[in-house]
Formats: sequence, structure tokens, C-alpha cells
Amino acid sequence: MLRFETASEAETIALGEKLARQVFPAHGVVLLTGGLGAGKTTLVKGIVRERAPSFREEVSSPTYTLIHEYGDPVTVYHVDLYRLDHERELATLGLEELLDRGALLVVEWPEKFPRIWPVRRVDVRIERGPGDQRSVTVLESQAL
Amino acid sequence: MRILGIETSCDETAAAVVEDARAILSNVVASQMTTHGKYGGVVPELASREHLRAIVPVVRDALEQAGCSLADLSAVAVTEGPGLVGSLLVGITYAKSLCFAKSLPLIGVNHMEGHIHAVLLEAAADGRQVLFPVLALVASGGHTHLFEVREPGQYRLLGRTRDDAAGEAFDKVAKLLGFPYPGGPIIDRLAPHGDPHGVRFTLAKMKGNPLDFSFSGLKTAVVRWVEQRDLAAEIETRRALVRHNPAPAREDWLAVTPKSTLDLLASFQQTVVDELLRRALAAAEVMDAETVIISGGVACNAGLRKAAASARFGCPVLFPTPALSTDNAVMIAAAAFPKLERKQFAGWDLRARAHLTLA
Repeated sequence: MLRFETASEAETIALGEKLARQVFPAHGVVLLTGGLGAGKTTLVKGIVRERAPSFREEVSSPTYTLIHEYGDPVTVYHVDLYRLDHERELATLGLEELLDRGALLVVEWPEKFPRIWPVRRVDVRIERGPGDQRSVTVLESQAL
Repeated sequence: MRILGIETSCDETAAAVVEDARAILSNVVASQMTTHGKYGGVVPELASREHLRAIVPVVRDALEQAGCSLADLSAVAVTEGPGLVGSLLVGITYAKSLCFAKSLPLIGVNHMEGHIHAVLLEAAADGRQVLFPVLALVASGGHTHLFEVREPGQYRLLGRTRDDAAGEAFDKVAKLLGFPYPGGPIIDRLAPHGDPHGVRFTLAKMKGNPLDFSFSGLKTAVVRWVEQRDLAAEIETRRALVRHNPAPAREDWLAVTPKSTLDLLASFQQTVVDELLRRALAAAEVMDAETVIISGGVACNAGLRKAAASARFGCPVLFPTPALSTDNAVMIAAAAFPKLERKQFAGWDLRARAHLTLA
């Protein structure tokens, strides 16, 4: 288990870059948990900067669009399950299919569907401290 | 000339027939809000499968209501992006098949260009002339963008949200407080009952493009406000209200929302409206706008409309009617007319583009 503390939005983005460079697998599932406003999308900004440097625009929240793709070919899928409440809805997203495409699948609000995730994955938990401070815990399952 | 428009970029399956970029012959929208209202807070019609189910009847209805057949059309226009690829694909594939079968030209339209054309269509219908350059603010659940429109069809991105879209911030704050989806309209109806200066949000200053928006800091500030208080009982009362009454009236909401929460809602809405208008005003000044267009679902917000009317833009500010503010296919057909004139047709290789940008 790894623990990090960040003191600003910029540091959280930098941590996303570092995790994407040194900790996350080339492809597989990263589950990102943390409440509203914890900084999940901020961390993904860093992940995309490292894994899809050709994407020069702003990484924004996929809450409405559900899935954002980054890189050409796609190297990062950024998924947000905030709006989904039923497994039937989840089924329409076709996440298994995305998993087969050799990219990193970063999922926000995975805790809404705790039973469906593969055992081999990385769990990242972000917690809010005072002000812009965040603590980030990274837990790797088995050998990836 | 008549164009059939098809829109499937997000949750709505929509089709419409528009004549000469000004007359709406039909406007059909199959929305999750009416179909799945009983889920409250959920938007189940999310992906391609749901669009697939709706696309054929929706297009058929649009043609029937317009009293025309495919043979009466000059072209078929479809949203090519931005949006969810699986959803976009349904509309694109269906539009291609229609065009292939009936030898019609196919026109790809950017969803955000559509939102701008919703306003241009209504102005044309009223015989009002729109002076260019136009500053367009497109704000919805999925987008918050500022565009400079030098002349019809020429767009330049001036600013956009760096995190959450404005509509998304509304809906997330509403959900946090126990209001059902979509929460934006509820906050808008309750805001006049609270003090917009009742809660002070201190937001971090942003570096970079001064025309970019940010709403996630505000969202986090609301989360902190809620955490510092014991609102569990209050929130549960509101959730219980929705279980018994899926569409509570304003009085019902007021009965279960104390003054302190009303103040929070009013202050939150005021902060979002200020953020939108402050950047829009700065952008209008930078580009010397002759007209300001505010479109997208958030353009329905009464607080925003009122504040925009008294903001010092120094030029007309145009909003679409509520029906054309939210996602629809009229705007897609409307945006296709200039392209039809220029014979700017799409090939069979037209593909869904999740991150399609305008400009």
C-alpha cells in the first residue's frame, strides 16, 4: 500500500502523472474512490497527461458523458458511474469490451457496483483534508 | 427546403424536421425524464441500446408530425459529436442508412453548433436580425463553453470549463441535498426564497486563461458546508417526499427545506450565475460582440436569464425558448442549412467523435 499527501491541485495532478508512470499497469482497471469534490477528476488530469500526452485539451468530468477517451489510439478510458444506479444501466456501457482494448480504464464511483470489478486492479482512494490538501492511498491487488 | 435532424449524443433520442432554417415542422424528443421519472434521480436511457430502441419510432413520428415523407427532404443532418460514441453511432448509422436508401445528402453537425443555431432559428422565425460577431455561451449538463462566432459557421473557442460543467454542478449539489434529478430546475425555483448572500463561498483563484470556467471548487465548498452541519434528517425528509410524490410543487419543497438550506441554494445559484456572466462579459468585451447568445440546458435557469438581462453587455442578449434550450434535433437541422447551401456534405465515412471540438 502506498500513501501520498498533496497540498494543492497542481500537486494532485503531478501525483496522477507519477502514478501513471510508475505504479499503474500498461492496461487494466484503476478504481478511483472518494466523495464529491475529493479530486478524482483532478488526479485523472495527471494520468492523461502521462498516458495520452497528445491530448492537449482540458480533461473534464465525464459525469454526463459517462466515458471520455484519451489518446489516439485510446490509452485511457475515463469512466464516471455517478449517474448510474442499476446494473442494467451499467450493462449498456460495455465496460468489458473497453477492457479488451489494451488501455487503462479509470473508473470514478466504482463503489456503486462493488461486485463487478476484476480481482486484478488498482484501488485508489482520495480523501479531502483541510483546504486543498488531499491524501491518496493506492492499493494494488495481487501481482499485476 | 426541408432537413430532417437527428440527435443522439447523450440521453435524448430526438428527431425534427425544419424548413428553410426558420420553420419547425416537428420536434420529437424521447427523454429519460418522462419515460423513467419513477426512478427519480436516475437517468437510465444512457447508451446505444436505449437509443436503438427509440430511434425508429422517433424519426417516424417526426416525419409524420411534419406531414412529409423522406422524398420531401433536401438532406438529413445528424450530430457527429461531441458525446458518447455508442450513442452518437446510433444516430449516425441511422442517418447514413436513410441517406443511402433515398440518395439524400448527409450532413454532420457539431452538437454545440446546434445549441447556437437554436437561437439563430428562433430569431429568423421572429424576423429579427442577429448582428455578428456573436459571443455564444453554451452551458448544459455536459458543456460550458464560450465561442466567438465571427460569421455563421466560423467558430473560435474562447474558454471552457476546466472541470465540471455548470449544469452538472447544479445537479450534483441538488442530489447532495436530497433533491431528485434533474436538480437544476428545482434549485432555480427555490433560489428566490433564499438569501443569495447568505452563504459566502471563498473560491480559489485560477491561473491560466481568464475565460475558462471552474465549478468544482464551488461544489467542494458546498460539500464542506453540508458536512459541517447535521442535515441527515432534512435530506431524508426530502427523499421521502419524492418517494410519495414524484413531482413535488414549490410549496412542497419549501415545506421540507429550512431557511439555511434555501440560503445555501440561493447563494450557490448566484455564484454559478456570476461565474458564467463574469467570463461571458469579459469575452464579449475582448471580441467586441454585437450579440450575445446564451444556450444549452442551463439557459433555462430563470436566475441566469434575469441576471443576464441586467448585465452590462452593451448589446442584445438572446436566449432560446426552454424547449430549444435542452437537447433537441431542431437545432441540428437548423445548423445544417448553411452547410446545405455550401454543399458541405459528409461522406459515408462520417464517424462518431467523442471529443469533437468546434473551432
